[in-house]
Amino acid sequence: MKKLIILFLAGMLLPTALQAQEINLKGKELFGDMRARHIGPALMSGRINDLEMHPTNTRILYAGTAGGGVWKSNDGGATFVPIFDDYAQSIGVVKLDPKDPDRTIWVGTGETWTRNSVSVGDGLYKTTDGGNNWKEIPGFENSERIASITINPNNTNEVYVGVLGALWSDSEDRGVYKTTDGGKTWSKILYVNPSTGAADVIMDPKNPNILYASMWEFRRTAWGFNSGGANSALYKSTDGGKSWNKIHNGFPAGKLGRISVQVAPSDSSIVYAVLETEDKSKNGLWKSTNGGQSWEHLNADFGLTVRPFYFSRITIDPRDPDVVVKGGLTGSISRDGGKTFKNLGNMHSDIHDITFHIKDSDIMYSGTDGGVYRSWNGGTTFEIVENLPLSQFYHISVDDAEPYNVYGGLQDNGSWYGPSSSPGGVNARDWNSVGYGDGFRVLKHPTKNIIYSEMQGAENVWRYDVDRNRTKTIQPLPRKGDPDLRFNWNAPMAVSHHAPDRFYMGSQFLHKSDDMGDSWTIISPDLTTNDPAKQDQSKSGGLSVDNSGAENHTTIFTIAESPLDENVIWVGTDDGNIQLTTDGGKNWTNVTANLTGIPANTWVYHIEASVHGKGTAYAVFDGHTHGDMKPYAMKTTDFGKTWVNIISDDIQENAFVRNIQEDYVNEDLLFLGTEFGLYVTIDGGKNWSHFTNNMPPVAVHFIDLQKKTNDIVMGTHGRGVIIIDDISPLRELNQQVLAKDVHFFKNKPFTMVEDSGFSGNFGGETQFVGGNKSTAARIVYYLKKRHTFGKMSMEVQDMQGNKIVSLPAGKSKGINVVNWNYNTYTPVMAEAKTLSFGGFTAPRVPAGKYKIVLTKGKDTYEHIIDLEYDKKSLTSLAERKEQEKMTGMLYDMVEDLAYTIYELNETQDKAREVMENNPKGKKTAQKLFDALEALKKDLVITTGDNYVASAEPELREKMGDLYANVASSYDRVSGAQKQNYELISEEWNAAKSRYQKIMEKEGKKFESFLEKNSIDPPKLKTKEEFLKKD
Amino acid sequence: MKTLKTLFIILLVAAIAPANAQTADEIIENYFENTGGKEAWDKIESMQTTGDAMMGGQSYPFVQTTLSDGRMVVKVDLQGTSFIPQAFDGEQVWTTNFQSMQAEAMDKETSENYKNNEANEFPDPFLNYKENGYKLELVGEATMEGTECYKLVLTKKPVMVDGEEKPNMTTYYFDKENFVPIVSETTMNGGPMAGMTTQTVFSDYLEAGDFYLPFSITQKFNGQVGQTIKVTDVKFNVEAEDAMFQMPEATDTEEKK
Repeated sequence: MKKLIILFLAGMLLPTALQAQEINLKGKELFGDMRARHIGPALMSGRINDLEMHPTNTRILYAGTAGGGVWKSNDGGATFVPIFDDYAQSIGVVKLDPKDPDRTIWVGTGETWTRNSVSVGDGLYKTTDGGNNWKEIPGFENSERIASITINPNNTNEVYVGVLGALWSDSEDRGVYKTTDGGKTWSKILYVNPSTGAADVIMDPKNPNILYASMWEFRRTAWGFNSGGANSALYKSTDGGKSWNKIHNGFPAGKLGRISVQVAPSDSSIVYAVLETEDKSKNGLWKSTNGGQSWEHLNADFGLTVRPFYFSRITIDPRDPDVVVKGGLTGSISRDGGKTFKNLGNMHSDIHDITFHIKDSDIMYSGTDGGVYRSWNGGTTFEIVENLPLSQFYHISVDDAEPYNVYGGLQDNGSWYGPSSSPGGVNARDWNSVGYGDGFRVLKHPTKNIIYSEMQGAENVWRYDVDRNRTKTIQPLPRKGDPDLRFNWNAPMAVSHHAPDRFYMGSQFLHKSDDMGDSWTIISPDLTTNDPAKQDQSKSGGLSVDNSGAENHTTIFTIAESPLDENVIWVGTDDGNIQLTTDGGKNWTNVTANLTGIPANTWVYHIEASVHGKGTAYAVFDGHTHGDMKPYAMKTTDFGKTWVNIISDDIQENAFVRNIQEDYVNEDLLFLGTEFGLYVTIDGGKNWSHFTNNMPPVAVHFIDLQKKTNDIVMGTHGRGVIIIDDISPLRELNQQVLAKDVHFFKNKPFTMVEDSGFSGNFGGETQFVGGNKSTAARIVYYLKKRHTFGKMSMEVQDMQGNKIVSLPAGKSKGINVVNWNYNTYTPVMAEAKTLSFGGFTAPRVPAGKYKIVLTKGKDTYEHIIDLEYDKKSLTSLAERKEQEKMTGMLYDMVEDLAYTIYELNETQDKAREVMENNPKGKKTAQKLFDALEALKKDLVITTGDNYVASAEPELREKMGDLYANVASSYDRVSGAQKQNYELISEEWNAAKSRYQKIMEKEGKKFESFLEKNSIDPPKLKTKEEFLKKD
Repeated sequence: MKTLKTLFIILLVAAIAPANAQTADEIIENYFENTGGKEAWDKIESMQTTGDAMMGGQSYPFVQTTLSDGRMVVKVDLQGTSFIPQAFDGEQVWTTNFQSMQAEAMDKETSENYKNNEANEFPDPFLNYKENGYKLELVGEATMEGTECYKLVLTKKPVMVDGEEKPNMTTYYFDKENFVPIVSETTMNGGPMAGMTTQTVFSDYLEAGDFYLPFSITQKFNGQVGQTIKVTDVKFNVEAEDAMFQMPEATDTEEKK
């Protein structure tokens, strides 16, 4: 013990100088045990950017996903696990070292199929231990998108990296890079200009000095896209990248767009390329049979030419150069060397990558906008991988059901709602479809079972009557004299806090409906900049026109009605305006000029109208579509006249912000959704902490706070819905609390939930199942220091100080969460040959107040919690009390039997001892032994096993079963149970009197024999000692 | 008293010395010094740990006996019946089948993997890691349990899983203040949880004989608590009969005593 004391003394001496300083905990130091849970969904999965096969092991493959990190399969694609959760989740390419594929893996971040909603990457990573630890490779921090990694199979220190680079701005961090020392040093070996990046960089499989690189001139803005230019070209090097030559012999003259290139693995003279050109008839597949010296145009089918920026991957069967597959809307496969193609079999549309099994070309894997698919028959039939929760939410909302539901819309995967908890976990079958196309905002009517949802550009806005299963389209339509309405791709909608049937939508105008969308009134002028230069999307796309509506601009993007005043409405636009009305739309004030430090025209992504003051609001701004990745968030308390910056240096410099959520209780507690995950402040934005406990740095597009449960619910763009249960402890954190050694956070009374339904777990082997919110009592406390040396324990006591049960205390610095399932100890069961399964049931405690006692060394800390019965209980209080009483009686009876069997066994042991060692007493001892043995056989099982060789149940098993049935029931004690209790009581009483008689007759004789012969009687523990728990 | 002084000095040194001065071997040296001294650790011939494992709200009282030659047995007593969840007799790993209550050998890969790794790690995986052919690397620092830690990767001998050789690594997080491991992490190599990470959290380092050992051990699977082990007693250099490690012959299901 002395050692410990000195240890503590030493610990106390060291930090004295620091005591006066402000305690400023960050990240894991602060959040401790608070942990996010993921509920998917995975049934529609999400966008895949790249697939990578292990070169020799058929069980292993990888998926690099657009927004959900890197996933590895160890079972040939049956299931996947994430291996890159601490880093940027937007992935361009995954590549295994050909010589060391089990350990050395390269990951280039930043997705490369450059749609409007893409996330960004932040560089190049490498692991040399199979993914347990990753290192960022210096030099690629600003690469944004890495499309290719190519490794010399003969010398794996020689690596080529193709950087596609910035999508939204000029950048010199583009082109082809080479290292010859495994990544320590790099040289840029092919660079064209700041707007042209490397789309594909590949190596001749037979000759590592031969390389092909396609360079692509491209640029996206918020209002348009351009693919193609004079600088796009296909290059070849035959000297390991020292020199490059264009290989366009046969290609049409003029501008080129995105070029895909691939060499046949089985014949490297055969090279395929897919071109985007000025001449539509020359688009599509080109083939060279002489290593790129000359080219022949083969095919301009739709499947080969559609949306080159989104589909530009050629895959060639490793065993047959004539079998060519091209990504596309449906994916296309040729078996005649590219002359003709047919569509791949049914699967989710938008195929970005396809791979062949390394040994069997019948087996193929496909990466789509809706996850990974497997084919076993050469691409005709596909089945989906069911455990990739990569759903890409644009928006989420919650309702007030119990458990609450989460609503949201997904990139290319419609609109959905599902429960935040469900029996057996949140399964695929729990999710309900409520919209087609791309899904965005989904809102529940505040009082009716009606859901509003929409598809891209408000082409359809649906009002779905859930109970009657009826849908009506209700989007605002232009009236006579109205200009064309401009809706964003992700068009804003809002329900009123004040009038349940009121519903808002934003085009360039704010539309208001007081009858759930049946009729609409425009209540604003054009609130945008109305800049005509940003309104012509008809030519968007560049060489291939791509006018999907995704680039509609100068539109309203966020609508926030004050929860305190229905006349105060904030509007934010995608072209940088914040507009405010304080009279329900009669007059509008443009407060944009009052924003300081926000570059002009920066997208107003979200406005949060505060509950803490009518004039208080938060606004976040996203400049990434101008190439400005900086985080921006501001707060006003005077209706937008003045704004304060609430971003600190704690936030990663490129973590641009899409959402903010205020706490409804503590004005200083805020949650920020960024491109690289969630940040939390407890001091109004002076300091921010990155929340990383089971929370990858995934793009958080929307955050909601469920008011009853205080759960933070996040719609992420790549990892589905992620929830942090009950953030209320964060409300209490301040300097006083942080300075305490131990602080218990306040709890609302805990409801002892009585749900006891069924949940089949069929399919659970390969399906993603989301975690549930625990229904246990959640004891949350703060520790100033991690407890490592010395004893620390936690127990529940009744208010008189009697111990109820021990709990496993969390010892982490920061916040600890300990769950108590309201149970006390299981009863001590009588010894027998087999197990009585009734004995595994612990009784629940009655409702009431309990003490949580934490003992840390010599110090104890107490906290009182309050337990309540479930208000949905089937029983009256009197019936509940009867059930508790009966549980107690049976518990005691089970333990009485246990002690009796203990006495009996000990007595038999003594009798056996006499029988073996004392011939004079053998007869007396034998009689007692036999009588007890006969009794024991009626009380406990003495033969058989725990399965089909089990013996007939004896009294212990019958008693245990009845005890467990009564103790675990949430209903009143049934008549049958009472009758059964009567029977078992009688049997037990009869057994006890049998035991008494034996002990009075054979027992007494044995006892007097022992006395006469000075033999010690059996040494028995007292009943209290015997039944002691823990 | 020697340990005492060392502890005190080490704490002071830790406060003064720049953190980056540490190497993996220095961290391990400090660890052994802080927990009893390497010389004393080297003298341990056997260990018997008594405790209680909590899983799913049920308590499983256990006694684990481990010998320096690698043999090991864990015995759990429940309702008067005994189970051996895991034992190693020097050649094979065996267990009690819960249904039949009979001893059964585990598959050959499990036994070979145990024999090549855990069986040689007595009494601590770091003590003779070089002799065991393991590799230890300090890969950086990390915050675990809210605490600044050194992150060390111990690469053991490869294991065979379903016919394939797999790398075998455990990551240890050593508290920078005390130089004891507070968390270890392993990625599951096989079975239905392959690829998932298990975490073992150590706390309540207490005196046991001449040593400091963690008396509270929590296992987490993907962050969820799987089992909590509360150690109540540790004995060193105990007498252990050979028979307790050997897999018993099948017995009939006839009457008990």
